[in-house]
Amino acid sequence: MGGGFSKAGTLFEEVAGLPMKKEDLIICRCEEITDTQICEAIRLGMTTPNEIKRFTRAGMGLCQGKTCRHLVAGILSRETGQPLSELIPSRYRPPLRPVALSTLATLIKEAPKGEKDDED
Amino acid sequence: MRIREHPVLDQPEWGKKIIFSLDGKSVEGFEGEPIAAALMAAGHRVLRYTNKHREPRGIFCALGRCTDCIMTVDGQPNIRTCVTPVHDGMIVETQNAEAQQMKKERLK
Repeated sequence: MGGGFSKAGTLFEEVAGLPMKKEDLIICRCEEITDTQICEAIRLGMTTPNEIKRFTRAGMGLCQGKTCRHLVAGILSRETGQPLSELIPSRYRPPLRPVALSTLATLIKEAPKGEKDDED
Repeated sequence: MRIREHPVLDQPEWGKKIIFSLDGKSVEGFEGEPIAAALMAAGHRVLRYTNKHREPRGIFCALGRCTDCIMTVDGQPNIRTCVTPVHDGMIVETQNAEAQQMKKERLK
């Protein structure tokens, strides 16, 4: 089903036959951001997944958007009519998995000298 | 509840029986199985309460992506219990349990 994500808000009703209010439908599980909050961000002028992320914090929690990034893009497409294929996905930022600071601190010792960090 | 016979994987191999603690209570599990699996088998389905609304959360994706099953393990917070093997004497705590208790008392 190609249009699955573009109908995030009605997915529950369609699949499970359960009526689900938009204001109860959590899109970003880590930051507890609902469908309604994302729609509100779009209404206030956010036009890209990146803007919605920075405005609502959806996708900035512990899992870094692993569950919600596609759903957010889907809602944006649903609300604004922009095709999903034309939306620029929000940025991935390292680390992609939760990493203990001690692990990172040990890595720095082992990294070869003189290597520059990638510019963002 | 545990899967004793799997149509594809046959009978699962379990490590030796161990005891770990959940919020001070002893829980039985098998060495090497994920913490979340041991807790579910022992009937504990709430693993944490959310930061904002203090709602209960349990296993969601069960493969280490969604971070819904995070708990405080041996004093370290935000450990994904669905991908962290359990061992003997491990100290596991429900995350935000105190905050949930405070919310309940406020609502009384």
